Amino acid sequence: MSAAIQHYQSEFERVAPLLPWRDSAPWHAWRQSGWSRFAEQGFPSTRHEEWKYTSVAVLEKLALSCTPVVPETMAWALLKEKSVLPDASHRLVFVDGVYQPKLSSVGELPSGLRMGAISDQSARDSIRLQGLLEQAQRRTPFAALNAAFMTEGAWVTADVGVHLDEPLLIMYVATKGRRAMHVVNAYEAAAESTFAVVEQYLGMTDEPYLVNEVTGVTLEQGAKITHVKIQQEGPRSYHIAALQALQKRESRFDSHSFALSGALGRNDIESALVEPGAAVSMRGLYRVAGRELQDFHTTIRHDSPDCSSDECFKGVLNDSGRAVFNGKIRVAPDAQHTISQQTNHNLLLSDQAEVDTKPQLEIFADDVKCSHGATVGQLDEEQWFYLRSRGLSSEHARTLLIEAFALDIVTGIEHPVLRSALESLLRSTAHV
Amino acid sequence: MLIIKDLHASVGDKPILNGINLEIKAGEIHAIMGPNGSGKSTLSNVLAGRENATVTSGSVLYQGKDLLALAIEERARQGIFLAFQYPVEIPGVGNVYLLKAALNAQRKHRGLPELDALDFLALVKDKMKLMEMNESMLYRSVNEGFSGGEKKRNEILQMAVLEPKLAILDETDSGLDIDALKIVANGVNSLRAEDRAMILVTHYQRLLDYIKPDFVHVLVGGKIVRSGGPELAHELEKQGYAWISDEGTGVAEVQPKS
Ligand SMILES: Nc1ncnc2c1ncn2[C@@H]1O[C@H](COP(=O)(O)OP(=O)(O)OP(=O)(O)O)[C@@H](O)[C@H]1O
Ligand SMILES: [Mg+2]
Repeated sequence: MSAAIQHYQSEFERVAPLLPWRDSAPWHAWRQSGWSRFAEQGFPSTRHEEWKYTSVAVLEKLALSCTPVVPETMAWALLKEKSVLPDASHRLVFVDGVYQPKLSSVGELPSGLRMGAISDQSARDSIRLQGLLEQAQRRTPFAALNAAFMTEGAWVTADVGVHLDEPLLIMYVATKGRRAMHVVNAYEAAAESTFAVVEQYLGMTDEPYLVNEVTGVTLEQGAKITHVKIQQEGPRSYHIAALQALQKRESRFDSHSFALSGALGRNDIESALVEPGAAVSMRGLYRVAGRELQDFHTTIRHDSPDCSSDECFKGVLNDSGRAVFNGKIRVAPDAQHTISQQTNHNLLLSDQAEVDTKPQLEIFADDVKCSHGATVGQLDEEQWFYLRSRGLSSEHARTLLIEAFALDIVTGIEHPVLRSALESLLRSTAHV
Repeated sequence: MLIIKDLHASVGDKPILNGINLEIKAGEIHAIMGPNGSGKSTLSNVLAGRENATVTSGSVLYQGKDLLALAIEERARQGIFLAFQYPVEIPGVGNVYLLKAALNAQRKHRGLPELDALDFLALVKDKMKLMEMNESMLYRSVNEGFSGGEKKRNEILQMAVLEPKLAILDETDSGLDIDALKIVANGVNSLRAEDRAMILVTHYQRLLDYIKPDFVHVLVGGKIVRSGGPELAHELEKQGYAWISDEGTGVAEVQPKS
């Protein structure tokens, strides 16, 4: 057993009595099985095809603490100014992986819509989480580790026909270094229900830490979830996540990922379209500078006929930043009339920046419309000249062009409040 | 205002401008005509500061200063404006945003305060009326999805807002329908002023019917092979360039009479 696994093994033994539902036998078994999967696989190495360009060797050596600690008290005002939705009436806040009722405000939700911290659920109610998270927690070695350690997270459920227009806000704030936070999110939309949820991850420490996150999403017939995830992690942070969505008939899942900062980010996102007429839109923006790395591995499974998927990821790479985009589209043999579109566009702002982009199309049906395309380019010299010829400074022109490239990704967001909040976030965080 | 002396420029190893001499005084309008590929756009771009053609020798004085030493934006702020032959589409950058940023960059350079949003809009809408443009174009991305003619009008709108000292119009008339040509010419004429000079690059006499030039120059093979008054354009219209190229190879250094 490697030193790293040994470290987490002893953490696991030490932490187990502190974790939620510690007396529940099914949870005990769940965590044990997660641990065994992790111990068996260990940390992925770059020899592993799925981790070829993303080395977690440094993370492996960090021996991070997994013990939940009570964070120092913090004022909402401080977080509010960093929040993407400062006026959200429904929010859950977690600091260093611990739920903060005082910073949160669930507010008045429409009846049939529930939002809460998972640690507030009884052992009995929480069992349903296993079904929601199982797929995602099997995805990567980190997700297995998450199954063993999961301590906190958000759970949102909407009953049949319930609609909420105002987006729910979930904030995960890291203030202490040298720690690993294993958090989960679960979103359930019953038939014909609709809601939007924004997860914002904020790093407020320059020390290394790990956010190891797993999200499970289920959408019943005709349901719609808009999911926005924003990573604004610290300069030495690791953010590793797996999301699995399961989509029933005519459901719609809109996923928007914004990886804006952090030393290393890795997202495995998968949606399975298991019944006819389901649609997924998977969009994302990654921005890297310095020596940052962002890695998106996405999978869209067309398991059923008449489904559509629309995927678009964009990257802005500066300095020695690196990015990986791997977009798998699988169309099952009987998934006729599939419409699937995938694009990945990258803007390289420096000679040292590097992106590895790979579409992976596995199409087993014949009556389908599938397209994909990837580009890697620099700023358009002609556009730059045009703007400067109107008197704009070369920096201003450059910033405008980068913004125009990046902001394009939010134009697809239907929700006007969300769209403008994200637009201003992207403008204010542009590190150029 | 502008003195170009023996200007040579190349794209890569390929010489494009081969000794241009031209002097333009404030208040004058100079038309430059010439066959495709003769270097008209290259000259326009060199004056605006585009770096894809390299000046290999010669000099350009603008208002007594070495123009070639100035950055692109510096030239613009000092009053040089190029209306592009092929205006660039810039998705994601608002037309109105660019106009405002451009105008404020100029004003800042002149030591004037920025215009507030209301005054700015009033000014722009006024100029749009002159160009008979629909206000909705303000809120679209720069030139994105504009028709050929709309793009050209948008160039002149920018010029009208920025009020340059030296305007270079590179084939602004190409691709315009007859009505649009009148509107554009009207816009240009409204900017004619004692302290403003213009270079009109064009292939067609028709534009010069509306905007009467003081001088017409013929550019062939990167050289001005002939200069004259407005009547020269008429002759070209009738006879084409062959006539000049034949007899003109030896008379490259004709100076405009002034
Ligand atoms: N980037 C480039 N690479 C190679 N050749 C170039 C480049 N840019 C311009 N040229 C060449 O320079 C020459 C002059 O081009 P320019 O665009 O200045 O001509 P023009 O007189 O404006 O022609 P037109 O009337 O067709 O607009 C042409 O032969 C053109 O092919
Ligand atoms: Mg030209």
